[in-house]
Amino acid sequence: MPAGNGQLVPLQWQPLPGATGAQVYPLIRKIDTVSSNSYLIQTPDAILLIDPGGLPEQAENLMQVVTECRHEKDRPVFIILTHIHTDHFYGIQNVPAFAFTETVTLMAQENGAAALERGDKRYTLADLFSLTLRPMRVGIHLLAPGSREHPGIPAELCVANGGRLTVTRFLPHAASPLPDREEIQFGASGPVVEFYHTPGHSVDSICIRIGSVLFIGDLLFAANPGVAGLVGWSQEQLIRSLEGIGALVSGGGISVLCPGHGRLIMAGDAAKTLAMVKRDTLALTDIAELSPDRAADAAAYAEECMEEVNELFTIMAGRLYYVGYVLEELGESEIADETRALIHGEAMDELLDAFRTFADEHHRAGGLSIHLALKAGQVIGKMQRIFNKDELADIIDRSMVHRAERLLSDYITMFRGFTPPREITVTDINGLIEAVAEGHSVSSCSDDDVLSSADDEDAFARILLARLGTRPLLDEVDFAMNEPAGPVPVAIDRDHFTDLLTYILEDLVGTGSDHIRVGIEKSDSGVQVTVSGNVSPHGTKEKRKTTRFLSGLCERAGGSLTCSRETEGLCRYTIAIANVV
Amino acid sequence: MDITTNNKDNATILSIAGRVDTATAPVLEQAINKEIEAGHRRVLLNFSAVSYISSGGLRVLLATAKKLKGADDKFSICGLSPEVLKILKLAGFTSIFSIYPSEGEALAGW
Repeated sequence: MPAGNGQLVPLQWQPLPGATGAQVYPLIRKIDTVSSNSYLIQTPDAILLIDPGGLPEQAENLMQVVTECRHEKDRPVFIILTHIHTDHFYGIQNVPAFAFTETVTLMAQENGAAALERGDKRYTLADLFSLTLRPMRVGIHLLAPGSREHPGIPAELCVANGGRLTVTRFLPHAASPLPDREEIQFGASGPVVEFYHTPGHSVDSICIRIGSVLFIGDLLFAANPGVAGLVGWSQEQLIRSLEGIGALVSGGGISVLCPGHGRLIMAGDAAKTLAMVKRDTLALTDIAELSPDRAADAAAYAEECMEEVNELFTIMAGRLYYVGYVLEELGESEIADETRALIHGEAMDELLDAFRTFADEHHRAGGLSIHLALKAGQVIGKMQRIFNKDELADIIDRSMVHRAERLLSDYITMFRGFTPPREITVTDINGLIEAVAEGHSVSSCSDDDVLSSADDEDAFARILLARLGTRPLLDEVDFAMNEPAGPVPVAIDRDHFTDLLTYILEDLVGTGSDHIRVGIEKSDSGVQVTVSGNVSPHGTKEKRKTTRFLSGLCERAGGSLTCSRETEGLCRYTIAIANVV
Repeated sequence: MDITTNNKDNATILSIAGRVDTATAPVLEQAINKEIEAGHRRVLLNFSAVSYISSGGLRVLLATAKKLKGADDKFSICGLSPEVLKILKLAGFTSIFSIYPSEGEALAGW
């Protein structure tokens, strides 16, 4: 029986809303990249399987249900793919009952059908997921341009599996936002099935309407990081498809949308969701294709990024706990609890642990880059949602909060297929380093600030929190610069260079250096900035792993970085900037 | 994470090996509390085999510092890796409890 709220009940046969005589059996999976939802439909004359999914066991389970149906009444079976990505069909490649029987006819949009028949690993994403792909015969090519020759006139089609189809093709109307359409009636008495060409997620994506149910494949996921930019993805086509399906839904008669992944969407909620996906899609101009090489780059960057994110969030949490500790000493337990809660320490720890566990398993089992990159995107997306950056920046060092924010957003930007923003400008490196050092030497709240807030309870509380939460990095450090006289112009990205210098100073101070020297030297080939600090007895055990992260950051800043530990107890970072202006 | 407990020179030394993270921080807290409840109020944590500390681990360290702030109490950490030392220093914890390079230096400093 259908659920009373208009939803469909998973793994049960129930009347298909709006289609007399048809029943639907939904298989709804938790969202992942391995396998899609599947929807079985039986009519008096045919059994339709929309998206058998990516897993053989899923296909086998569905085959059992199909077999039971055929025992009740033997009917031809049609497998319809909303598109030919492996997570929607790969399961049937290894289930002979599906792949090699004449009872079963495969149906896909014209472009997808051609790609399946030639065993195209790129368009099916088999190469991205390192899957072996056998070419597959597709019995019915849907929405083929050639079939528009007799628009609106039904054509009878006899299929090798014994099915008799009535196919009607319609010409797209320039004035109508509705997508290109084809209708098929399976047998004499079944409901008409409407097929809409909705490219964008892939060239062959289709939506399928039966009764008041609309099967939409991956239309609503097409703007997600790690999905946008897949081969065949098109921003322009996706926007048009979203508008077309939006018009179809708003035209009435649709009660529920069945996506390729995750829970069903009631028609009343669809307009908002479609609008959100369109808004996200509009922002995705000129993104790079998500190829196996880019997935590997994203996975490598994800691990570097997560290592730094882990450290920064742990330090920020520690700062808040420290503030909370002092506040409790002052008898301010309530404010202490509120302050500690700002960082969502347990939730952040769980997310960071989840990524590390996934990454360890990934390396142990030789997993795919795309999976690691997607996991990082998922974890970072959740971290962004619980990161109270504005409130935290009022208490702890803004530099730390902003760097954490940039790390998270740079990864999502990069994973979406954009290059993280970089702005190379001519900058006086002397002045910039002096300003960075000054910023790390002075407290954000002076004694005067504390005194002047004494009469205002709220202002005093704010100043007190900031006073406790911020710690000038170079406060207890003997810091000196040895620079040439006058300005030294170089071409760098100021923000990235500032971040780089701050990370280096934190590394030195954090591992015990209490003497830090910065030298700036001009030469024929460019400018060389050296930052060196004494190595404390604590800091001699092992070289930090973050050198690769810092090297990448230095490249984005416009330079190149080397790091050395010298026998006389010095740790030295050298930044070479070639293009002196 | 493994914890080995030794009593030496009127001090209780807990040597920790592994990661102090969401899963293991409560285990460390229990081990420390057990010693404090037994009246051992001069506690040294040897972190020389600790590769990672999470915010949950930091919370345990502060909770311990809070319990051991009596005039005759002692609480210190020694043998930190550069990664863990950096986190404790930049979080500001070095103003709450002392950090020493080794067990010997910690006990000598008490």
